[in-house]
Amino acid sequence: MTEILFLFFLSSGLFLGWSLGANDAANIFGTAVGSRMIKFRTAALIASVFVILGAVFAGSGASQTLGELGKVNALAGAFMVALSAALTVYWMVSSGVLVSTSQAIVGAIIGWNLYAAKPTDWFTLSTIVSSWVTCPILCGIIAVFTYYGIKHWLKHSKIHLLRQDSYVRTGLILIAAFGAYALGANNIANVMGVFVASSPLQDVQVGGLIISKTQILFLLGGLAISAGIITYSQKTIQTVGNSLMEMTPIVAWIVVFSQSVVLYLFASEGIKNFLEGYGLPSLPLVPVSSSQAVIGAIIGIGLAKGGKNINWTIVARIIAGWVFTPAISAIVCFISLFFLENVFNLAVYQ
Amino acid sequence: MFHMKINLFAKAKALESKIDMFHDKVIDSAMMFNKSLREYLNAGRSDEFKKINKQLRQIEHDADQLRRDIENRLYSQNLIPDMRANVLELVENLDRVINRFDEVSYQFYIERPDIPQIYHSRIKDLVEQVTDCAENMSIASRSFFRDLSLVRDYAQKVYFLEHETDLTSGRLKESIFDSDLHLSNKLQLSTIVDEIENIADLAEDSIDRLLIFTIKRDI
Repeated sequence: MTEILFLFFLSSGLFLGWSLGANDAANIFGTAVGSRMIKFRTAALIASVFVILGAVFAGSGASQTLGELGKVNALAGAFMVALSAALTVYWMVSSGVLVSTSQAIVGAIIGWNLYAAKPTDWFTLSTIVSSWVTCPILCGIIAVFTYYGIKHWLKHSKIHLLRQDSYVRTGLILIAAFGAYALGANNIANVMGVFVASSPLQDVQVGGLIISKTQILFLLGGLAISAGIITYSQKTIQTVGNSLMEMTPIVAWIVVFSQSVVLYLFASEGIKNFLEGYGLPSLPLVPVSSSQAVIGAIIGIGLAKGGKNINWTIVARIIAGWVFTPAISAIVCFISLFFLENVFNLAVYQ
Repeated sequence: MFHMKINLFAKAKALESKIDMFHDKVIDSAMMFNKSLREYLNAGRSDEFKKINKQLRQIEHDADQLRRDIENRLYSQNLIPDMRANVLELVENLDRVINRFDEVSYQFYIERPDIPQIYHSRIKDLVEQVTDCAENMSIASRSFFRDLSLVRDYAQKVYFLEHETDLTSGRLKESIFDSDLHLSNKLQLSTIVDEIENIADLAEDSIDRLLIFTIKRDI
């Protein structure tokens, strides 16, 4: 019975995962598929596999940070936090706005904190919010350097257009894999992070391999993201990239590369430990928005090209979405928690 | 997946070679056209002229086949989807120039125009300029595939040579109509000069489009 109830409550997280797959996968291979450089089926298959691998094997770092923001300690509460974020994302995606799942979940957690009268860890919140600013800027910087590097290389390599096309296709497939891995690693926290504290799952031993209860949770989340990629991402692909700036396949590759690197930097405990081991500054492990990263990269390249091709109205609309997403999500969560507790008599916090 | 990638590189390499061969055909046809008209001016419709004409026709035929093959491969193998339409247009524009070389040479074969000796050297100059123009167009187009920085240099040469052909053909036609030749002869010579000169115009048009494709190709 507990398992069935758990699965029922988990369904909102799985729905959020599905929304994330439907929405954010377009950032990884949208332009490549849109420009017919790679087939949707190939891209979706690769992304589905790697998003699960990233979630299971590298998803814990960002999830811990989200847990510090608000330890959602009741399953019904976690259900509503994830559902509020999912509904916000779904509603905004349906309205054609590119939204951030990261901001939706942060907004929902704050909504839960407010409802449960739990203190919000302002240090963690400021770390997360500052990452929203750092992420697109860093992505833009990486994109500009990569853009100039590739431009220089193309100028001097005198590579034939057709061979260049083959390299770009291969590159797009590889980057779809890396991008999906980074997305899984960074964004699984958005999908399953709120369930970690209240999950009744136990560690499982398969042969000599121990799969932790968190990894099982992340595997389920990864499967939901994959389902979103396969079933719905084709639709969102139409709105990504080219609506903001005309992109060649090489620029699309640069955008996805920069986005993947940034998402991975914000998720990799290995890189964080490595940098800190040498006394170097490191990035916090927080879930960041892949949409924000993509926009940062596109603006960076747009500015490098003279800033003439950027559709600033769309940029402004997206920035407005970033502000409204957490706010709407927090309000939806707060009201829904009240409803859940008082109508269904469920404990939404302890 | 690995096999798919190897296959993709092999397909690209095969098409690369076809495109290179097609550019060779443009240069071959230009040189053969030059040879053909020189032979006609020197010896009229001689056996050698007929032989050269036949060779030019063969080049045109081979170029047509290559063009069809390139178009087929680009679409059936789904290569360079973002630039495919541009490459097709480019290849078709080059093919038009090859066709014109063949047609003008054949026009000499059919019409057997009577060209007084005094115009020979200027017609040779005009033919030289037109073939130079086409050759530079071909090099510019080849550069489009490998080295974008060179396209503009060769495009500039095409523009210069096209302007030169305008001047040469203008002077030639003036001189033809100032002469005592029969009007029908004047009109025939003038048409032939126009036909030759138009090849440079075709080359210029194709360069105009090429420069736009070059801007598009830049990342």
